[in-house]
Amino acid sequence: MSEPRSEPEPGRAPEPRAGRTRTAALVVGALVAIVVVGLVAFSIGRLSALSATTPGETSAEAGFARDMQVHHQQGVELALIVRQSSDDPAVRLLADDIAATQAQQSGQLAGWLNVWGLPQYSAEPSMSWMTRGGGHSAHTPGQPMPGLATPGQIARLKAASGADADRIFLELMIAHHEGAVEMAEALVDRSQHEVALAFANAVITSQRSEIELMNSMLAERGGAPVVLPAS
Amino acid sequence: MNATPAQPSKPTTKQQRQAARDAKLAEFRAKEARRKRTRGIAIGAGVVALVAVIGLLVTAIVLTPKPATYAAGGTGETIEGVETFDNAAGHVEGAVDYPQTPPAGGEHNPVWLNCGVYDEPVPNEAAVHSLEHGALWVTYDAEKVTDDELATLKSKLPSTYVVLSPFTGLDAPIVLSGWNTQLKLDDAADPRIPAFFEEYWQSQHVPEPGAPCTGACDAPGKVS
Repeated sequence: MSEPRSEPEPGRAPEPRAGRTRTAALVVGALVAIVVVGLVAFSIGRLSALSATTPGETSAEAGFARDMQVHHQQGVELALIVRQSSDDPAVRLLADDIAATQAQQSGQLAGWLNVWGLPQYSAEPSMSWMTRGGGHSAHTPGQPMPGLATPGQIARLKAASGADADRIFLELMIAHHEGAVEMAEALVDRSQHEVALAFANAVITSQRSEIELMNSMLAERGGAPVVLPAS
Repeated sequence: MNATPAQPSKPTTKQQRQAARDAKLAEFRAKEARRKRTRGIAIGAGVVALVAVIGLLVTAIVLTPKPATYAAGGTGETIEGVETFDNAAGHVEGAVDYPQTPPAGGEHNPVWLNCGVYDEPVPNEAAVHSLEHGALWVTYDAEKVTDDELATLKSKLPSTYVVLSPFTGLDAPIVLSGWNTQLKLDDAADPRIPAFFEEYWQSQHVPEPGAPCTGACDAPGKVS
């Protein structure tokens, strides 16, 4: 790193050979310059990578990628249940749409973690990322994610058929979407990551409009609009 | 012409020489002082530059993220005791004779087992299909694992893509199985349990990553 400065060696450099000392000084100087330029370039290169950082193990992005997969997987599950039991073409089409979209998005989230070199599994409880940083929607780690249907609710949907199943599905999916929007908003509050932000914003926009659609479908089928507790 | 004392004209030769020497000396001293100053500035600048470069280097190394030490879906060599296998996939009806106990991959039933907690042994052929989808199968010897230990074990499991079931004929109290991988354990608090999950849960190296672990068959004894 720090090349020794060229010292004229008095004993060895006789008067007429002063030129040699100068050459040596130039060579050493050039070497020092090369090393310094190299180190500076290396440092700048590394520092410039800071803006395109790969999210780490406990980052909001990784937590979101893990928890939203679980959330979306249940979205697919609910949609596939009603896809089989419903006789209503509009509900079946909605279920197809939700199952395909959420399965594809779930795959994206798994892919992020693979590309970032992070495990799908986290040793810390789910939703821990939402307790760090950001302003609102802090959650208790390990508690159920917002909007997730309970095993009992899923059993009820499975047992139902026809118009009953349609209504139960719409109610569960509205709450499910509200929860997903909440999680996506929590990521937007905490992330600078371009791809993750684009994903979260798409979830917010599309699921909000689907909530409106589902509320109108629910009203058409004689259900009361789903009112969610303020978070 | 004589020099008069009142009129300081021509100094003597001696004086002239002395003056010349003084002048030379003064010039030399000035030069020396200049040289010293230049050298001082050069050394100072050199030190500042060196410190700046080292500072930049240290900043660059400290601030930038460390490369992840985890290799997703690796060989599991870092987890002591993990065995890996080379079973092939394929759908078959009927019973399958599996080389591992409990099975860790191989031919399986076309219908997969829904993930969740079971308090009865589950059909091997269905559970192996779930392994193919990236689930892990956590089996325990109900005679050796206490309720407290079972609770400890449950607390480490993710909410999806896991089958927990008792299994008869295990040669260890707890066995974790994934597609073509297995870890036998004595203790529910073993730190290798989360490590195994990090390495293999929903791994991208199973035959069908992302395929569901719900929507197929519930075996008897499904608790949640």
